[in-house]
Amino acid sequence: MKNILELAYLVPLFPLIGFLINGLGRKSLSKSMIGIIGSGAILASFVVSLLIFFQVKGGNTDTLNYFSFIRAGAVNIPFAFQIDQLSSIFLLIITGVGFLIHVYSTSYMHEEKTEHFGRYFAYLNLFVFSMLLLVMGANYVIMFIGWEGVGLCSYLLIGFWFKNPEYNKAANKAFIMNRIGDLAFLIAIFWIIGKVGSVGYSEVIAAATEGSKFTTTDITGITILLFIGATGKSAQIPLYTWLPDAMAGPTPVSALIHAATMVTAGIYMIARSNVLYSMSPLTLNIITYVGLATALLAATIALKQNDIKKVLAYSTVSQLGYMFLALGTGAYVAAVFHVMTHAFFKALLFLGSGSVIHAMGGEQDIRKMGGLNKYMKVTHITFLLGCLAIAGIPLFSGFFSKDEILASAFGKSPVIYAVGLFTALLTAFYMFRLYATTFRGSFRGTHEQEHHLHESPSAITIPLVVLAVLSVIGGFIGIPEFMMHGGHKLAEFLQPIVAPSAKLLPVHEVSHSTEWILTGVSSALIIGVVFFAWNKFSRKPDTGEATGFGKVLANKWYVDELYEKAIVNPLAKLGGFFNNIFEKLVVDGLVNGVGRLVSYSSRQLRLLQSGQVGSYVLLMVLSILLVFVIQFFLRK
Amino acid sequence: MNALIISAILGVIMMFSGILLKQKSGVRGIAIGGLVLVLLSNVLEMNGTHFFNVNLHGMMEFDHFSLLFVSVIIGAMLFYFILSARDMEKVGGYYAEYFALLFFILCGIVLVTSFKSLLILFLGIEIISIPLYILTGSDKRNLKSNEASLKYLLTGSFSTGLMLMGIALIYGATGTFDVAKMKLGLSEQPELLAIAGMLLLLFSMSFKVSAAPFHFWTPDVYDGAPTVFTAFMATIVKAAVFIGFIRLFGDTFGGMAPKWQFWVAVLAAATLFIGNITAVFQQSVKRMLAYSSIAQAGFMLLALFAMNQDAREGILLYSVAYSLATIGIFAVLGRMNDYTFEGFNGLARRQPLVAAVLTICLLSLAGIPLTAGFLAKFYMLKAAMAAGTQFWLVIFAVLMAAVSVYYYFRVIQAMYFKEGEANVTVSAGFKTALVVLAALIIVLGVAPELILYWLYF
Repeated sequence: MKNILELAYLVPLFPLIGFLINGLGRKSLSKSMIGIIGSGAILASFVVSLLIFFQVKGGNTDTLNYFSFIRAGAVNIPFAFQIDQLSSIFLLIITGVGFLIHVYSTSYMHEEKTEHFGRYFAYLNLFVFSMLLLVMGANYVIMFIGWEGVGLCSYLLIGFWFKNPEYNKAANKAFIMNRIGDLAFLIAIFWIIGKVGSVGYSEVIAAATEGSKFTTTDITGITILLFIGATGKSAQIPLYTWLPDAMAGPTPVSALIHAATMVTAGIYMIARSNVLYSMSPLTLNIITYVGLATALLAATIALKQNDIKKVLAYSTVSQLGYMFLALGTGAYVAAVFHVMTHAFFKALLFLGSGSVIHAMGGEQDIRKMGGLNKYMKVTHITFLLGCLAIAGIPLFSGFFSKDEILASAFGKSPVIYAVGLFTALLTAFYMFRLYATTFRGSFRGTHEQEHHLHESPSAITIPLVVLAVLSVIGGFIGIPEFMMHGGHKLAEFLQPIVAPSAKLLPVHEVSHSTEWILTGVSSALIIGVVFFAWNKFSRKPDTGEATGFGKVLANKWYVDELYEKAIVNPLAKLGGFFNNIFEKLVVDGLVNGVGRLVSYSSRQLRLLQSGQVGSYVLLMVLSILLVFVIQFFLRK
Repeated sequence: MNALIISAILGVIMMFSGILLKQKSGVRGIAIGGLVLVLLSNVLEMNGTHFFNVNLHGMMEFDHFSLLFVSVIIGAMLFYFILSARDMEKVGGYYAEYFALLFFILCGIVLVTSFKSLLILFLGIEIISIPLYILTGSDKRNLKSNEASLKYLLTGSFSTGLMLMGIALIYGATGTFDVAKMKLGLSEQPELLAIAGMLLLLFSMSFKVSAAPFHFWTPDVYDGAPTVFTAFMATIVKAAVFIGFIRLFGDTFGGMAPKWQFWVAVLAAATLFIGNITAVFQQSVKRMLAYSSIAQAGFMLLALFAMNQDAREGILLYSVAYSLATIGIFAVLGRMNDYTFEGFNGLARRQPLVAAVLTICLLSLAGIPLTAGFLAKFYMLKAAMAAGTQFWLVIFAVLMAAVSVYYYFRVIQAMYFKEGEANVTVSAGFKTALVVLAALIIVLGVAPELILYWLYF
């Protein structure tokens, strides 16, 4: 084989085939067959992704042109894949974590009817296919196809149990919120086409750095629009409210789509366009503050949630805020690093919560759990490791990535650092509140539930163990420079991607001693908070309803209500006005008026048709005379 | 030339077949077989095989366009024979003679599409018209049929007079009947005689394609004639005369275009208006189709108005699309008991296939995408746009096309959304032919190059 990169098309092809087989054969295939095809397709993609990754690691990158996708005038948009450091990392995350979650799903979804089981796996494979397109595309249009594809799959999977109207509402909410962002993304694409005439990443970057096709305003406008697109997909203020509701979908879906992969699409997009962003300090500032605010806001909400998945959902929003914070400070590598470690531990936590929910017979309220460590050893240990990782306990994966983000925040401003650190402490607090309330203390559910408590089967526990291992050791590919010289393998690997921005953006160097102090302080504080929360909630979990300020948090700062009042209701009123007044009086009047006019003229014209040959001939002669008169006397 | 002579001979054979053959199926067999023969001979001529070598003295010319068009016409006629030949039995006792007349009309069509002398054009038009007068009145015991025939003859004679007068004036102006030698419009200011002659020819041809205000005969004749012959008049004859019309004004009067283009635009607008608006109020589907044929003629006049390459392609596609769809609708209509819109109520429930094919035909006539009718209209509008002088006409045509949706969809609505007892008896062969017809409409709507390609090969 000349070049393994030429096999890249196989990576999305396998899930697509899996989708077609499972989608079309969902009524005839057996459950085990569906599971094997669904998971096997992703495994095959993973294997190819690994081969590609090692090629890329050896310095071999390529853009593969397959065919001309859109050709209109001077604009030519090829269907092309770009295989480089950034996309190969994402390929591994998507197919690797994706495969584990597929395996997990074979057991988790086993009680569904075969038809729905097949539908589930078809959607899941379609999702992976779209996500792969999103990261592999060599231009913004291919990315947009994947972007829309994942949005669609997210919608389909959130509303997977479509007989429940609440779930359908959640699915609609996710879709509509995403569409708002997508519109901005689309405008950005058109803006780029208008200015550059091409949407390929390399052409756009070249146009931005060398030519004079972009003004500063263009770049700021485009980057802000792209960022608005990202706030939709990656659940940032103001478009974040769909993500917690998206937990209506099956838990593995929450793990794969709404934690590990799809929601990081916005991060990927900005990391992919990092050169553009580095040229627009204004946009970077916006991103920094939006990310920081989202991280803090979501973390405070998570403090008072009692639904195990809601806590994790807000934690996801908060961690995504972190990633945007990193992007905003120009620490693109740190953001990608956090995407990766977050994919491990958040997938782990979600899958762990799924295992718990499974054992509890569908119960999601942590106030009715407690003491589960005695019943579910594997789930308990892996969940604990996930919590330690997300809290940022030293040497766990989250520690390295979070520390890097905080360091770059400090470089930008100590205030941002302080807020970031505070958020990290909140994270540690609510995660261990969750852990202690769920697994420690004594069981608070019914006897029947207690009787049924059991460890989940191996199809569920094995992915948990694998993800737990990754959550623990995943950080070692990014050991910061001040701890070990040359320890940040990931930064080295991604160097070619971010090199052009490094030239544009002043790097806030923080001295090694300062970094040691910062790390020491934050680690000590986090460990302290973990102990405090562990002790507090093991002994006396808060099982009552929240009061006072806690109630505001429990109700998510009433943001949903605010949106309802400020946007949805006025829109509904406007719609009502158009429906009842404008439509009835103006539109209908116009339409019916035209109809009446036509029908009236028809009745009158009909009278010409008298049935008398004489009058026919007379009319013809008159017409002829008229034409002759006009032709010979009036026309020049 | 092949088609002209063979169809003339076939006409004679058909006259005798009625005497010699007792079985009506035998007569029909000869007719269909003969038509296939004509088609083959014409296709062979397109490839350069001439069966007959006659010195025409430059009076006719069988060029690629006319041969291709005649092939298309014969193809449409074949569909018509297969779908509707049985219905002719019901009209009256002279089954074989009807076929004979139809073959003579085909001779006229060949003349009209290939003329190089105004005399041949006149001959062709008359050879088409006279058998049609007879066919219109072929339902002899029916008063309406007789009345229609008489009206057609009277108004037709009037138009014949106009045409002869026009030709005479042109002769006076140029001293020749030969199109190639006329050299009209070469001088700055053409002669008064030539313009008057040209206008008279414009009127008489407008009469034949039922363009307003020369359309008055159309609703009465189409309504009164036996349905099976209405179908023939409204489609094949109309398309053929249109080609003659275009040849006459494109070739003969091409140099005088500034003198007639405006009037064609006016005629087109008037025809579109009267055809579409009057069709709205009709209660009988047959009469609605008569007005629809006027409206469609309005669209075809756009090709005459534009007279560019798009127009040539467009008129070919338009005649095929319009003829196929209308033949299909008339074939079904001829088998219905009740010709009103209510007569179609609930047809879809009893005859889902027939209703589906009818729907496709109606959609094509209305110009809905994916059907041949859409692309045909598109070509017409594109050609008129490219002509550039009368932009209002394009907008007006689009608006009128929108009006046409109303009356075409009334039939669809009746078939699918109303309760009723409508039913037709159809054989398996009839259904097959209908399906092929519908498939052709769709195929041409997606890939019109299948026909247009032959213009250039």
